[in-house]
Amino acid sequence: MPAAPSPRQRAAEAPGPPVGSRAAEAPDPHAARGAGEAPAPGVYVHVPFCAHRCGYCNFAVDVGADAGLRRRYTDGVLAHLAAVAEAGPRALAPQTHHGGEAPGPGWPVLGSVFVGGGTPTLLDPGDLARLLTGLVEALPLAADAEVTVEANPETVDEASLATLAAAGCTRVSIGAQAFEPATLAFLDRRHDPEAPARAAADARRAGLASVSLDLIYGVPGQTPEQWEAGLDAALEAGVDHLSCYALTLERNTPYARAVALDGVPAPDDDVAAARMAAAGQRLRRAGLRRYEVSNWARPGHESAHNRMYWRGGDYLALGAAAHGHWQGRRWWNLRPTQRYLARVEAGQAPTGGQEILDEATRRAERLLLGLRTAEGVARAEVTPIDEEAAAALVAGGLLADDGAVLRVTEAGWALADGLAVRLLP
Amino acid sequence: MSYPLDRIRNFAIIAHIDHGKSTLADRMLQRTGLVEPRTFRDQYLDRMDLERERGITIKAQAVRMPFTGADGQDYLLNLIDTPGHVDFAYEVSRAMNACEGAILLVDAAQGMQAQTIANLYVAIEAGLEVIPVLNKIDLPAARPDEIAAEIASLLGGDPDDILAVSAKTGEGVEAVLERIVERVPAPATRDDGYTRALIFDSIYDSYRGVITYVRVVDGELRPRQEIRLAATGFHNEIDELAVLSPEPRPVDRLGPGEVGFFTAAIKEVDQARVGDTVTGHADPAPDPLPGYREPTPMVFSGLYPVDSEDFPDLRDALDRLRLNDASFTFEPESSAALGFGFRCGFLGLLHMEIISERLDREYDIPLVTTAPNVGYEVDLEERTRRPGEDATIRVSNPADLPDPSRIAEIREPVVDAMIITPSAYVGTVMQLCEQRRGSLDSMDYITEERVELRYALPLAEIVFDFFDRLKSGTRGYASLDYEPSGLTVADLVRVDILLNGEPVDAFSAIVHREKAYEYGKAMVARLKELIPRQMFDVPVQAAIGAKIIARETIKARRKDVLAKCYGGDVTRKRKLLEKQKEGKRKMKAVGAVEIPQEAFVAALSVGQD
Repeated sequence: MPAAPSPRQRAAEAPGPPVGSRAAEAPDPHAARGAGEAPAPGVYVHVPFCAHRCGYCNFAVDVGADAGLRRRYTDGVLAHLAAVAEAGPRALAPQTHHGGEAPGPGWPVLGSVFVGGGTPTLLDPGDLARLLTGLVEALPLAADAEVTVEANPETVDEASLATLAAAGCTRVSIGAQAFEPATLAFLDRRHDPEAPARAAADARRAGLASVSLDLIYGVPGQTPEQWEAGLDAALEAGVDHLSCYALTLERNTPYARAVALDGVPAPDDDVAAARMAAAGQRLRRAGLRRYEVSNWARPGHESAHNRMYWRGGDYLALGAAAHGHWQGRRWWNLRPTQRYLARVEAGQAPTGGQEILDEATRRAERLLLGLRTAEGVARAEVTPIDEEAAAALVAGGLLADDGAVLRVTEAGWALADGLAVRLLP
Repeated sequence: MSYPLDRIRNFAIIAHIDHGKSTLADRMLQRTGLVEPRTFRDQYLDRMDLERERGITIKAQAVRMPFTGADGQDYLLNLIDTPGHVDFAYEVSRAMNACEGAILLVDAAQGMQAQTIANLYVAIEAGLEVIPVLNKIDLPAARPDEIAAEIASLLGGDPDDILAVSAKTGEGVEAVLERIVERVPAPATRDDGYTRALIFDSIYDSYRGVITYVRVVDGELRPRQEIRLAATGFHNEIDELAVLSPEPRPVDRLGPGEVGFFTAAIKEVDQARVGDTVTGHADPAPDPLPGYREPTPMVFSGLYPVDSEDFPDLRDALDRLRLNDASFTFEPESSAALGFGFRCGFLGLLHMEIISERLDREYDIPLVTTAPNVGYEVDLEERTRRPGEDATIRVSNPADLPDPSRIAEIREPVVDAMIITPSAYVGTVMQLCEQRRGSLDSMDYITEERVELRYALPLAEIVFDFFDRLKSGTRGYASLDYEPSGLTVADLVRVDILLNGEPVDAFSAIVHREKAYEYGKAMVARLKELIPRQMFDVPVQAAIGAKIIARETIKARRKDVLAKCYGGDVTRKRKLLEKQKEGKRKMKAVGAVEIPQEAFVAALSVGQD
């Protein structure tokens, strides 16, 4: 092979769209699509390291890893990436019983990369950059692919963000969660209240095209005024995108134990619904559009990766505990970091488990994911549904049904899962 | 071995639950050498597990004990075991009619209870010789002198003459047997050439068909004899004739005064009813034994399978239970809320509890049992009568009560209730009875400390939780017995419960007009607590006809969505929703309202106030 082509060149030279020619039909992965069209595939990379575990979090997190392990992990993910890229997409799809000898199709053009965690920015900026460079070299990313890195505000500065930008990162998602000390303390977050705004400004100066903040609402003790002030602070930080998540009581977390044993208050659904509604109003006034239950963006700044998830798109899974999906097969990588590393270092697949979705299950997923989005879901993709329930929900003002597409109404956002459960046949 | 009449003694034991009847019977079996200690199980006579667990006797049985008296003569003692509960009063009276004597067994610590006294009156009415016995004299809390005085004031006689035993240790049991020989009269017979035997129990056996327990009064029974049952007209040849001693032992004859059982290819107990007379088929007695009564259910309840697929199994189970219990009735009915089930009639509350427990235990069918109600008679307004409709209809399901505009008069069953309470709780008991629309008939001090109250009470007022309240209001000391005393006119209305504007038939109840508001308010408040929030506001209303008397609103659920899928983990999220969907499938949908099974059960089983 001659000198390594630039990532953008690779994408342009990538083999023609193989299956279903989705890239041909939709060459621009960011183009707004109607409900039902398949989005460009993506890549999810999980970085499990955290400086400490927050009380509410039950996610795959590895606390206290040293610099050596973090470097080794970067190398491990790159080895995993190389193996996946080499095997091609056929190895990811559900196994079929015919055509075993035919050469597999090449990779379709990928529309997004999301490096999530944990705290990806706990990796050395050089390692993180190596990871991103490795990705764009190994796989055909679209010229304007969205490449997001999650960051905790206290772990980044302008220089480290510039390093990421140079390696292809286009978007940063900053875990702010809250802007007042009491709420941050309740959540076990250790950054100071000004850190998120600083990080957002650094990201701008580093040249990242999109900056997003994560906020958590429904935290016991947080007043409605504090929540609205937090939204204002996020908007003042000049972000293009906001993710607002309801605090959720997850099993086997320190928070759940504190609720059960120490009388610490659990999140209240009615409070959460009120905060969610307040966010909807405040952010709409500020010119952000809600495109999913928990996500708001200025026009053009919707997260392509996020939308790909909600549309039932395909994505690769790299890193410990990462989940992937390819054409009806879902799988997940081994969870403890060490087990994952042991496999990938030995050249073995680190798959922890998988499920093959039958047609009914794929329809159910399309329904429950599609109802989370502003686009909704095409009836054609989810039929049959419980029509009686649909009619009742439309009559009750929670669901909009134009005969072709089902969507939640403004009142239905906070009940999207309940709607999906009722619409399932 | 056949005994002459004057050597036979037939007796029953009257005792309150836990006063030691079964233990005394056990000691008698041991004393007369019928049971080896090795094969002995406690409470030998109580056969069913359920009886064993509850410590109460449901089915009467009989055991034959040879006994050599102090006079050196051989006697035959027949102990006829009687049920101990008010629901089975009729069976008690039949068992008593098979005896000439009764032991009145009283706990020396607790004293006489209402049921004991009620059964004592049955015994006295049947002309039985009553032998009072104090039990549990070994207990530290025993007050033998006080209780003996109490008994003497009721029965007359000398308190010092009352026997004292400890059935537990066996102390005094010999003296009781002696006294039976001495005081209980020998059976009498008419010797008019006809055969008459009283059925005092019949139980179903899956191998032999119905086993019929009888006391021969006149004539004799023999194997292969053609017999006829006077009330049901059933006739067949006796297959097996036997006595219990206490294991079954075949005999070739049962003569006057003797007690035993026979089989005759009888398929269900309904054909061999308690109280009926066995006579000869060829030469039936023109005058059967008196006192036979058709069993009449007093309390009704809907039994619905939780899973509608269990309906055929439930029918099957009820059919089989009925083989063994002619006193309960059932017929299919359907409920908009609960689907297909059966309206069952029971003798009383305990009877109902026993049947549903047996269904659960022996047939493993999870059930929703609607709140118990009584049967009503309704006179229809003449002008609203439809062609072919009777002027008076019977209503055993509140949902069937006609619209108020069609009702001329409703009559409800009333009972004569006897409550015996320590005098300190008289006020509490009277207050309870007045709350339950009772009217005081009499109040008698049995002793200074114990009072017998007699009230006329609507049966509907005691079927729900009266007994529990009576017990809790008197620290467990008061006891209750009642017997039906007919129907009386009452100002009753049906309170319907509406969810989202639609009536839920299973929640309808017939209550007194003055209590309707209170009942409706309590019911909607309870349902508001029990029914989970839905996607929309759900009004819960109580109504009499078209008039709403109480209302609550179950506020709509405001949030039902997970925040995110961590790292693209759609599988976990989908599985959570699939689980919710599964849960929803188990709910009963009433209109657009989803009600979990547990909420239904809880709403129907909680007390009224």
